[in-house]
Amino acid sequence: MATVPAETDADQRSAPLVAQHLRVPFILLVLCFAAWGMAANLTDILVGVFRGIFSMSNFQSSLVQFAYYGAYFLLAIPAAFINSRFGFKAGVLVGLGLAALGGFLFIPASQLLAYNMFLLALFVLAAGLSILETSANPFVIAMGDEASSTQRLNLAQSFNPVGANLGVLMGAVLILPNLTPEESKTIMSEAELVASQEADLLLVLRPYLVIAAILVAIWLLIAFRKMQLPSQPEAVDLTEGGGGTLARLWANRHYRYGVLAQFFNVAAQTCTWTFTILYAQDVAGTSSAAAGWWLQASLLIFLVSRFVMTWLLGIVRPALLLLVMALFGVACCLTSMFVLNVVGLIAVVAISAALSLMFPTIYGLALQGLGPDAKFGSAGLVMAILGGALVPMIHAAVMDSAGSAAGYVVPGVCLALVAAYAVFDLRTDRPDAAPAPAPEVGAQEW
Amino acid sequence: MVRRGRVHTLLAATLVAGAALAGCTQEDQEPVTVGLITKQEENPYWVEMREVAQDTAADLDVELLTATGESDTDVASQERALEEMVAEGADGILIAPTDAEALSAAITRAQEAGVLVIAVDTPTDPPEAVDATFATDNERAGELIGRYAAAKAAELGLEPRIATLDLTPGVSTGEQRHAGFLSGFGIEEGDAAIVASVDTEGDRDKAAVAMTQVLAEHPDVNVVYTVNEPAALGALAALEDAGADMDQIVMVSVDGGCRTMREGVRPGLIDATASQYPQNMAREGVEAIADAVREGDQPTGYLDTGTELISDDPVEGVESRRVEFGVRTCWGS
Repeated sequence: MATVPAETDADQRSAPLVAQHLRVPFILLVLCFAAWGMAANLTDILVGVFRGIFSMSNFQSSLVQFAYYGAYFLLAIPAAFINSRFGFKAGVLVGLGLAALGGFLFIPASQLLAYNMFLLALFVLAAGLSILETSANPFVIAMGDEASSTQRLNLAQSFNPVGANLGVLMGAVLILPNLTPEESKTIMSEAELVASQEADLLLVLRPYLVIAAILVAIWLLIAFRKMQLPSQPEAVDLTEGGGGTLARLWANRHYRYGVLAQFFNVAAQTCTWTFTILYAQDVAGTSSAAAGWWLQASLLIFLVSRFVMTWLLGIVRPALLLLVMALFGVACCLTSMFVLNVVGLIAVVAISAALSLMFPTIYGLALQGLGPDAKFGSAGLVMAILGGALVPMIHAAVMDSAGSAAGYVVPGVCLALVAAYAVFDLRTDRPDAAPAPAPEVGAQEW
Repeated sequence: MVRRGRVHTLLAATLVAGAALAGCTQEDQEPVTVGLITKQEENPYWVEMREVAQDTAADLDVELLTATGESDTDVASQERALEEMVAEGADGILIAPTDAEALSAAITRAQEAGVLVIAVDTPTDPPEAVDATFATDNERAGELIGRYAAAKAAELGLEPRIATLDLTPGVSTGEQRHAGFLSGFGIEEGDAAIVASVDTEGDRDKAAVAMTQVLAEHPDVNVVYTVNEPAALGALAALEDAGADMDQIVMVSVDGGCRTMREGVRPGLIDATASQYPQNMAREGVEAIADAVREGDQPTGYLDTGTELISDDPVEGVESRRVEFGVRTCWGS
C-alpha cells in the first residue's frame, strides 16, 4: 500500500488531474477498479447459484468466498513484492493476466461440471485482482502531479462501487432469472439434470468471459504502451516493519483491537451480502430473479449511506457514530432472525446502511496517533480481509444446522464486536492524539 | 503504426472471441399456439399455473391463450373455452377438467379438429380421453405423509388415534391421497387406529367444523391427516380453539402452497406436507405442445409432475426436504 505526500488545497486546484500523455492508461486503470468491484460482487451471487446447480449445502457453496477472499489475503504480500521488485506496471500486467486467466478457467470448469475447478478459477481470478489492486493504487498515484494524487486516487476508487453494482446487475439480469427452476429438477432424469447443469453453468460462464476479455484488452493496451510516470511513489518496503514497529503496534490496544474490529467488519459485510440472496429465497420466498434485486438494493443503500455518514462524521464523534450504527446493524440482524418475512428481508438490506461507515471509520480510529508506524499498521488492517474468507463458512454452517434465518446471528455477533470496539475507543484514552489518516488513500474498501 | 495495428488486431480478436464465447444465437421458430384452461382463479394454485405457462410461452416464443372457470365445478365455462380455443387455431390445449367425465365430448371434438389435448392436475375418466395427463401422483403424495406420520408418532411414543379429513366421495384425487396415507402409515381401511374419517371438500371452514366435531367425540386424537392445506388450516384453528397440545399431535397434509409453508409448516404446526407442483404441469405442458408441433414428439400417457415431502422436523428413516426448499419451490404468494 502506498502513501501520498500531503498537499494543500491550492496545490490540488492548480495541478492537472492526470498527465496529458497518461490519460488513456488512466482510463484503463479506472476500468480495472470497476472490474474488481464487479468480480467481487458477482461472486456474492455465485454462492446461491452454485448451491442450486450442484445441489449442495450452504457450507459447501460458501467455499466460493473462501477461495475468493483467501486468494486476496494470500496474495497481498507477494503483490507488494512484485511491485517493489519489478515496478507497478509489471504488477498491473501480472494482475490483469492472472485475473484474465482465472476468467478463462471458467471454460474448462463449466465443461467438466466440476465445482472444484470453479473454486480454482475463482482463486486465480481473485489472486490476479489482488495483485492488480495492490499495483493499481500506487500506479494511479504516480500518473500525475503529486499535488493531485489524492484526488486522482479518489476518482479512480469511486469506480469500484460502480463496478460492484454492475456485477450484481449482471447477475440479476443475466444469471438469476434464467436458472433452471428448482422444482423442475424434482422430475428430471439423470441426463436431463446434467443438461440443466450445463445450461446453468453456461449462464455463469458468460459474464466471467466478458470480464476476462475486457481484462485481456486492457492488458494489451497497457503492455504495448510506453509510460513515463511524472512521479514515482514510494514502494512498500517489506522490511520496514521491523521488530520495533511490530512491538509498538502490538502494544497499542487501539490498533490491536482495531485490526480485530476490521476483521469482524469485513466478515459482517461479506456474510450479509453473500447470504442476502439465499435469505430472500429461503426465508422471504422471493424468486431467484427478485432476490438479485434485493442485493442490488443493499449495494445502493451502502452507497447512499456512505454520503450520509460522511456528513454525519463532520458533526458526530466517529467512535460514537460507529457504536450507534453497529448497534443498528445488530438490531437488523436480530430482526432478520426472528421476523421471517419481507420485513426480515428489509432488515437484511438495511444492514448495509450500518456497514457503510465501518471500514474507513475503523481504519481511522485504529491508526490514529501511530505516526510513522501508521504505514506498516495499515497493512494489518487490509489483511483483516481474512474475515471475509473465514466467517461466511461459519454463517453457512449455522444455516445448514439451524435454518437460513438463524445464520444472521453470525454477522450480528460480528457487528456487536465492532460496537464493543467503539465503546472501548470511547472509554479509553489514547497515548497520542495525532489526527487519523485518510482511509481512502492506499487502502481499498471492502 | 504497425505495432499499434497489431495491438488493435489482437484487441479486436480478443473482443470478438469474448463476444462469440459469451453470445448466443436465436433461431426462427415455427409458430405455436397453446391454450390453458384452469378451474378458477380464487385459488393461488391456478394463478401460479397460469403465470408459469405465460413465462414458459414467452421463453419458447409460443402464443398462449388462457381461460378459466368460475369454480371447481364449472363445466360449462370450460366447454365454451375449449370450443373457442379450437376456433382460434390452438395447436394444443392444457385443461384441468372440472369434471372427469362431463367434458369428454368437448375434448373429443377438439381432438377431431386436430388439437392435442393434455389434462393437467386432474385426470379424465377414462384417462385415454386425452392425449396425455400431467399431474401429481396423489397416491405417492399420501404415502409420503403417511410414512412420516407413522415414524413421527413412534418417535413421540404415541399410540395412534387417527382422524382423516378427506375431500369428497368419488373424487379420485382425494381417494388416492387417502389410500396412499393409509398405505404409508402401514394400516388398512377400517383399522382400529382410525377413529374418524370426515369429508371436508377441502374447504377451510368445513374442515374446522368437522375437526371440532371429531374432537368432541374423540378428544384423544393425536394424528390428523388432511387432504389439502386449506383443510389443514381449518383443522389447526379447531385444535387451537380446543386448547390441544400441538407438540403431542402429528398433523400432515398435501399441497405446497407458500402461505401454509410459511405459517404452518415452518413453525411446525403442520409437521409435514407433500408438495405438488403446478409450475411443472404448466411448464411441461407448454413445452410438450411446442415440441409436438416443432419436433413431432407426440406426448402420450402419464407424466408425474413431482411431489416432495417437506418438514421442519425430519424423522429418521423418512427422507424429507428442508422447509427452506419448500419456501423456494412453493406456489402462490
